[in-house]
Amino acid sequence: MTILCVRFQLPPAHEAALPGLLGLLEDFTPVVEALPPDGALADLRGAERYFGRDAVELASVIRVRALAHHGVDCAIGAGPGPMLARMALRDARPGVTRAVTEGEVADFLDGKPVAALPGVGTATARTLCEYGLDTLGRVAAAPLSTLQRLVGAKAGRELHEKANGVDRGRVVPNGVSRSLATERPFTRDELDPDRHRRALLSAAGELGARLRALDKVCGALTLTVRYADRSSTTRTRTLKEPTAHSAALTRTAYEMYEALGLQRARVRAMSLRAETLGPAEQASHQLTFDPTDDKLRRIEEVADRARAKFGPHAVMPGTLAA
Amino acid sequence: MPGFTHLHTVSGFSLRYGASHPERLAERAAERGMDALALTDRDTLAGAVRFAKACAKAGVRPLFGAELAVEEYEPVRQERRRAPVRGGAFIDESTPRVTFLARDGARGWADLCRLVTTVHTAADTPLLPWAENSGDGLTVLLGPDSDVGRALAAGRPDRAARLLVPWRERYGDALRLEAVWHGRKGTGPGSLRLAARTVGFAAEQRVRPVLGNAVRYADPGQGPVADVLDAARRLVPVGAAKELDSGEAWLKDAPAMLAAAERIVEAAGFRRDTAHRLLEQTRATAAECLVDPEDDLGIGTVHFPEPHLVGAGRRTAQRTLASRAAAGMLRKGYAGRYAYWERMHQELDIIAHHGFASYFLTVAQVVDDVREMGVRVAARGSGAGSLVNHLLGIAHADPVEHGLLMERFLSKRRLVLPDIDIDVESARRLEVYRAIIDRFDTERVATVAMPETYRVRHAVRDVGAALSMDPADIDRIAKSFPHIRARDARAALEELPELRALAGEKEKYGRLWELVESLDALPRGVAMHPCGVLLSDASLLSRTPVMPTSGEGFPMSQFDKDDVEDLGLLKLDVLGVRMQSAMAHAVAEVARATGERVDIDAIAPGDPATYQLIRSTETLGCFQIESPGQRDLVGRLQPATFHDLVVDISLFRPGPVAADMVRPFIEARHGRAPVRYPHPDLEEPLKGTYGVVVFHEQIIDIVDIMTGCGRGEADRVRRGLSDPESQGRIRFWFAQHAAARGYDAETIQRTWEIIEAFGSYGFCKAHAVAFAVPTYQSAWLKAHHPAAFYAGLLTHDPGMYPKRLLLADARRRGVPILPLDVNKSAVAHRIELVSDSGVWGLRLALSDVHGISEAEAARIADGQPYASLLDFWDRARPSRPLAQRLAQVGALDAFGANRRDLQLHLTELHRGARGGGGGQLPLAGGKKTASAGLPDLSSAEKLSAELGVLSMDASRNLMDDHRDFLGELGVASARRLREARHGETVLVAGAKAATQTPPIRSGKRVIFSTLDDGTGLVDLAFFDDSHDACAHTVFHSWLLLVRGTVQRRGPRSLSVVGTAAWNLAELVELRAEQGLDAVAARLAEPMPEAGGDSTGGRRIQMPTGYELHPWADLRPAGQEPSQVRKLWHQSPGSAG
Repeated sequence: MTILCVRFQLPPAHEAALPGLLGLLEDFTPVVEALPPDGALADLRGAERYFGRDAVELASVIRVRALAHHGVDCAIGAGPGPMLARMALRDARPGVTRAVTEGEVADFLDGKPVAALPGVGTATARTLCEYGLDTLGRVAAAPLSTLQRLVGAKAGRELHEKANGVDRGRVVPNGVSRSLATERPFTRDELDPDRHRRALLSAAGELGARLRALDKVCGALTLTVRYADRSSTTRTRTLKEPTAHSAALTRTAYEMYEALGLQRARVRAMSLRAETLGPAEQASHQLTFDPTDDKLRRIEEVADRARAKFGPHAVMPGTLAA
Repeated sequence: MPGFTHLHTVSGFSLRYGASHPERLAERAAERGMDALALTDRDTLAGAVRFAKACAKAGVRPLFGAELAVEEYEPVRQERRRAPVRGGAFIDESTPRVTFLARDGARGWADLCRLVTTVHTAADTPLLPWAENSGDGLTVLLGPDSDVGRALAAGRPDRAARLLVPWRERYGDALRLEAVWHGRKGTGPGSLRLAARTVGFAAEQRVRPVLGNAVRYADPGQGPVADVLDAARRLVPVGAAKELDSGEAWLKDAPAMLAAAERIVEAAGFRRDTAHRLLEQTRATAAECLVDPEDDLGIGTVHFPEPHLVGAGRRTAQRTLASRAAAGMLRKGYAGRYAYWERMHQELDIIAHHGFASYFLTVAQVVDDVREMGVRVAARGSGAGSLVNHLLGIAHADPVEHGLLMERFLSKRRLVLPDIDIDVESARRLEVYRAIIDRFDTERVATVAMPETYRVRHAVRDVGAALSMDPADIDRIAKSFPHIRARDARAALEELPELRALAGEKEKYGRLWELVESLDALPRGVAMHPCGVLLSDASLLSRTPVMPTSGEGFPMSQFDKDDVEDLGLLKLDVLGVRMQSAMAHAVAEVARATGERVDIDAIAPGDPATYQLIRSTETLGCFQIESPGQRDLVGRLQPATFHDLVVDISLFRPGPVAADMVRPFIEARHGRAPVRYPHPDLEEPLKGTYGVVVFHEQIIDIVDIMTGCGRGEADRVRRGLSDPESQGRIRFWFAQHAAARGYDAETIQRTWEIIEAFGSYGFCKAHAVAFAVPTYQSAWLKAHHPAAFYAGLLTHDPGMYPKRLLLADARRRGVPILPLDVNKSAVAHRIELVSDSGVWGLRLALSDVHGISEAEAARIADGQPYASLLDFWDRARPSRPLAQRLAQVGALDAFGANRRDLQLHLTELHRGARGGGGGQLPLAGGKKTASAGLPDLSSAEKLSAELGVLSMDASRNLMDDHRDFLGELGVASARRLREARHGETVLVAGAKAATQTPPIRSGKRVIFSTLDDGTGLVDLAFFDDSHDACAHTVFHSWLLLVRGTVQRRGPRSLSVVGTAAWNLAELVELRAEQGLDAVAARLAEPMPEAGGDSTGGRRIQMPTGYELHPWADLRPAGQEPSQVRKLWHQSPGSAG
């Protein structure tokens, strides 16, 4: 039980605080993997000996530091591997660290629903439940060949191993948050395309500003439209070139929205997520002979500075000000 | 100042558009000093008859018209929009609309009917093609929504002028341009600028302008209702996509319209006094439209099909009828009996007097056709009292033998149209309709419309969606209401105990309640009436607008059954009776399996086994005597003859129950009270019912004997009894005539008391006799061919109980239930010889599998037998979900392996079929399917799958799983309850089978419920002192645990009066998860306090004199037990 899975209790849309919190974990071990938007995995194999405490004790230290330095509470699960740590986290809450030891893995997994296993999505879980394999104990008991017939050869083998407590995962340090998201809820069922576009414009503007503040660019944008009946539609589009430019993000968001062709759909919220973030200095930029693009970027730069000085609402597109 | 006439007014019959009833519009018009009012509903004339009647009452002259969607002369090309990924496309309302008014009397009305009929022949949405757009008797108003108006709104007078040309060619002088001002801004409909442009354009084009207000509601302030209706029609929330209603579209009075006219003419650049000319034009247009409701619509006249169509040839209808009746006398063997000849001639006289001979021939023709098709058919209603009907083969029962009177049906003094209803097998009802249409042709036949109106649940759903409330909230609120009128929503919240929780959060929903109530009774859709068929002569289509029904495409008159009667159209009620289908199926099954031909129309009367079954009160599934109340009555009455059944059916009506005729009858029948007659002369009519008046026929006889007025007059007197006003007059008349016949004052007084108490309650004996025949037949089948009987019942699903209860009953009566098996089950339920001992079992049907299509079921049945799973998959070609369901309920068990393994194999077969090859089916031992090592369904999962797939617990009773827990609680089973003492406190439990709140004599609301616990049925009653504690639980739970006291009223009559109720499903779960202590804690929770009568003693006074609780006689809240498909909990591993 040397892997910790930490979930910080961040308020929504505060992913920007995550890098700081990851730094806190890095004080203990260099092997930290960010799980955006609000979690992280940490491999404490070396740290246990170095600090002379076991993982559970270190978890308490981490929680105290997170509260003291950042004012953020966290829940922590501990296990012999990343998968088990993640599953242990489900049973944990702030102040109560759930630790799974090597010996109790089989018992721990036995009664859990299949959907609790990382990597088992709703579709796989539904398939397994249809065949009566609703707990990990039953999955572990089922023949490997049958599992492979159910979910496919590779997935079946992995499922079989995981259900039997074989955790082959490793903590891979990545250090950066890989996505940023923002949401624009409506107070009522909104059908008006103008309001929808206005929400997208404001969301894309916010994402762009946040990306630029972090010196990041994003490679893809995801649009999620939530409806009154609690269903939603999700569309992802890869950008032509990684960018943090608000106008480019807005254009892509509009394209995705237009492709939905919504008419009578009762929209309750629209959210945008910038994905595959990378450092801004590595981004390429296609130059054009059209001066407009260049002007827009310069205006954006100026607007960013004005916002930095006078607050986020100092400069905004005219349609949003109205 | 003379009143203004609104030429453009829609009522609620313009579905989800108009917000006021035609009656309200007529009233308001009269109040506001108008002499005439037009009704121009959208694409319909359905409100015309009510409107005409309301206008006659209010003293306003009605004008008839319609606002129709018209094909554009020059269609504007529209770009196609991308199909939305979610939520659907906008409702297209872009077609221009034009108002047509009927002008020239009957011709105008006929033109209007023709146009409306044509509009509905368009493929998807109503549309009037240009080719049909003409009519000499019509006046046309081109308003803001017409193509001309739209061109003007777009600022294109040139285009408007071009579009006006074809209109002018078609309608010439009858064309008007309509200006409407609703105070809107811009140039769109309702704006001042468009109104002014219209008036100016009219002057320029020399077309007469009129002023309209495009009325949608009667009173100011109803704008929000119109908004909700718009939202419901367009399926969007209020305010989305289009602007809100202006609030001006109400029935404005003359000064307001004059003010509007002045603004419009001024804006058009004319002098202010030109406004009077605009109003004058409007008035003149109204004055030209002369359609008289009596003469032109045909209210009050009768039209029968032409005699040559009903077998009269070149003779008159009366001659034909007489000869056919005489032939019937000979055929039925009454030729030698004078009384029959006498009666026949009397009846023929009456028929000739009214000229109704073609009517009788028409009905006889229909019955003959139906019988020829091999469909079971029987007459019901007062028509069974006519010997001529019997002789023509319309009615089965011999009216002379049963003492049925012609006068109850038709007499010289009765002016209303007689009405003969015929019952046919429900499963073949549409075939019968088709046969009638083929016989008389579409120009003479149409089905009758039935407007579906807003009641509380739909109103909540539509208003909630319009106000963009959370769909989950809307659903919860709508489902918690009983099926009451929308206008009672707030009163119900105040008064009904089961709505108390909802009343607490009432404020949260703001305007919801007000808007819900304002939608009350507005039509929201139109469906085909389930039984009425119009039969008329060839002029039908010029008197009624006809539209095709959705689905079957039958022609359907837009008028409903009351309108049709007012219009003098002959309506024949062809009722589909499921029991007839069920019996037909049972007989066919017996014939198929055993070769024995049973003719249930010829079974011997007085069969002892049948009456023994009826007396045992185990009459589930028997026609008319299966409800809890009837089982109780049958138990007390102990019928032994056919006449007893007739009486039993007559007694179980709200009237007799309310008038307390049941108790004296039972007392007298069992000899506990002496039989009394007011006078020896009355012994004859009253003998059969121990001196208690049960039938209409008895009242007619009593009045006839006492006053000597003749039976025709006596029937008229009987009808007058229900009206308190005429009752006083009748009393005087009765006393006078009876005294003249020499009866003493005391006899007259006592007889009058009986007549008065009887009021108009009793039941028509002819009706009861017609009902009792299938009652006896079904009981006979249940006694002699139980398996076939249940097969019929389950296939055609008649009666009030869910199928699973019928299955439980079958199990109790020792009929083996054979599981679904693709190698043995047929499309319908079948009987099968189970053992050599000759016991017949019931094999479940494929058609009961959830989501199976007729074609799939037929394919499976045709391909039998199947050798293996692969064989089944290849030849029956079931869809994957269907195959999975079949596997879940064990229909594929014969192919080996457990049910989950079978599912896996099916999935792979499906994948293989899709991928083309690669479908490896591991086979072990040739035809058996190999095991894949998956866990089999647990016993609870199997039961859950049965309920989910078949809606029946086929393998065992679902209560069996709770035996242990119920034992712990000390619950009394239904079987043990039979020995329980009166007054004993017991616990009972079971699955709810039926819940009702019928009208009760005491004027209280009593909840009756029936529980099934596997050993039998327990009838429960909850009186209003327990409603606060129990009502919500009883309505909204499926499995119930009830504490109550035993009530005994006879050897076979037993019920439990509930004092506390719990949701058993919840307790079972608590027991399983947290043990008995948790159950104890749940039981220890206090019940809500009784709050007394929250209606404040409010009662509905029925016209017949007794009081009714305001919330009785409603379909209660909660899900119908027959709809329940889920077990009390869905275990995480449940199948599917």
